[in-house]
Amino acid sequence: MRPDLQEAELFHLQNPPSDGAAVSCLRGRGLSKSFGHVRALHGVDIDVFGREVLAIVGDNGAGKSTLTKILSGVIQPDRGDIYIGQEKVHISDARRAHELGVATVFQTLALVNCRDVACNLFLGREPIVGGIFVDRKKMLADARVAFAELGINIPNLLAEVSELSGGQRQCVAIARAMSQNSQIVIMDEPTAALGVKESGHVLDLIMRLRAAGRAVIIISHNMHHVFSVADRIMVLRRGTLAGLRHKSETTADEIVALIVGGDAIVKERKETHPDAGLLSPAAGE
Amino acid sequence: MGIFQEPDGLRRVVLNRTFVITLTGMTIFAIFSFSVDRFFTVENLLNTLRQIAILGILSVGMTLLFAVGEIDIAIGSIYGFLTVVMGILVGRYGWNPWEGMLAVIALGALIGANTGLIVTKIGIPSFVVTLAEMVAYRSASLLASGERPSEVEGSGSFYAASGGYIGGAFPWLIVWMMVIVIAGGVILTRTKFGCHVFATGGDQEAARNWGINTRRIKFWCFVSMGALCGLSGALLFGWLQVAAPITGTGLEFGVIAAVILGGTALQGGRGSIYGSLVGAVIIGMLSSGLVLLGLSQQWKDVATGALILLAAALDWFGRKVGRRFAPAVAEAD
Repeated sequence: MRPDLQEAELFHLQNPPSDGAAVSCLRGRGLSKSFGHVRALHGVDIDVFGREVLAIVGDNGAGKSTLTKILSGVIQPDRGDIYIGQEKVHISDARRAHELGVATVFQTLALVNCRDVACNLFLGREPIVGGIFVDRKKMLADARVAFAELGINIPNLLAEVSELSGGQRQCVAIARAMSQNSQIVIMDEPTAALGVKESGHVLDLIMRLRAAGRAVIIISHNMHHVFSVADRIMVLRRGTLAGLRHKSETTADEIVALIVGGDAIVKERKETHPDAGLLSPAAGE
Repeated sequence: MGIFQEPDGLRRVVLNRTFVITLTGMTIFAIFSFSVDRFFTVENLLNTLRQIAILGILSVGMTLLFAVGEIDIAIGSIYGFLTVVMGILVGRYGWNPWEGMLAVIALGALIGANTGLIVTKIGIPSFVVTLAEMVAYRSASLLASGERPSEVEGSGSFYAASGGYIGGAFPWLIVWMMVIVIAGGVILTRTKFGCHVFATGGDQEAARNWGINTRRIKFWCFVSMGALCGLSGALLFGWLQVAAPITGTGLEFGVIAAVILGGTALQGGRGSIYGSLVGAVIIGMLSSGLVLLGLSQQWKDVATGALILLAAALDWFGRKVGRRFAPAVAEAD
């Protein structure tokens, strides 16, 4: 067995999840995926627990997207198993993922910009009345409930998505993913396109999902955001697990070093400059 | 978290194409009513509506196609071809005209299904597919008819219900148009199908992502367009009692003009059948008003062209204004 795998397993033995969530919500074991000759993911293990936020970080091409696409059913792994609860599952497509309670907020958000908020929230699963007609009343009422549950204030459900700001769209996409009562939420770069204030709102929303007992996986390049919401940070490098750290036991510098593959640099720095770990987290951007 | 702001009320009205097109229609109506003798008479207004009945029916199908992000420029030829087929079935083979109507509607639906399959399965753009069909079906109607019009001496329920009047004054054609317009409007705005039409036209990837079968939605839009060509052909034949092989030449441009005037976007995702109806009515009013003014029919096309440009300019202006009012943050896409 490769040393990094042992490291991952050891980590789980030594760090039982907080708040008593005994079994992991979602487990991936030995996930591998190649595209032609390119080995995008090679034997990666992943565990995510209820009531926690797991951040996946890594350089471009490290396999973050491949891993989340496997978990959300968009692509199939060449090797490896996925378990939800105690059960081994086969996530054949995006729809199956939804059925299994895995919701994904893609970076593109997959919203139809020229349709209103309520329509987008219920696209493809509109409440029906009289066989063919969309039950607009029920749709608006359900939309109001869905937003209220997530604490999103949205006075006008009839506004077109194109009229919303980036942060508002992100909230709609998250609400869309959540309204299927999913226990596991995967978010690909939820703050990449957002301003400071809007990012704050989205990070708030992530913390609320966590508080509601959901397991959240986020991909982000922004170390500041990662450190403000994540419980654990998983670093991928060239398709393998480069490290898994509790937020409280690491620094942005160490994570950045793991991302670029320079563990030695950190050690060296710490020896010569004891304050190196206090470098601004934003330096990781 | 109060990050969602109420959109500016005035801006919504200015950007609302339904409002703009209605205002434009009413303005043209008022100008003609005051300045043209014999325009504001019940007879002329009903006749104007009757003249645009087929334009209105076809624009319902075109609105569906635009909304789903496709186009059909062959409808003039297909409508002509189906009129000729109707003429042959009824005039030469002596079919009951009601049966003839059902037959050409079915044939139209088949033609639409064929277009839909080529576009969605093979993936050739609908503009190219229907350009080929435009040429082919025009020739087909010339060949099928032997370049001679079929005529009938029609009497009976079908001819009364297409070319006749209710109570001797209200043309049945207007009733046909209103039925199709209302049915189309209900389908597009109230049904799940309509919802998916807009979603498919607005963002095909997103729609597919949420489990919508976008190919199937497009397919049925082409089928309904074809069926409406059949209905129009049958009604025209019942009205004029003659099927000329050149029927419908250039009609696709009138239909597309009505739809664009009505605020339906070429790129899909938006569209209003009410708007298309008002667009058709505007074209009809221009035609009728200019004729009453003693100007040639050609001026109608000049005026229609100018209006389309105006509509496009308004749309562009609306979006520019919209952007200026939009929140000053990075766009998500």
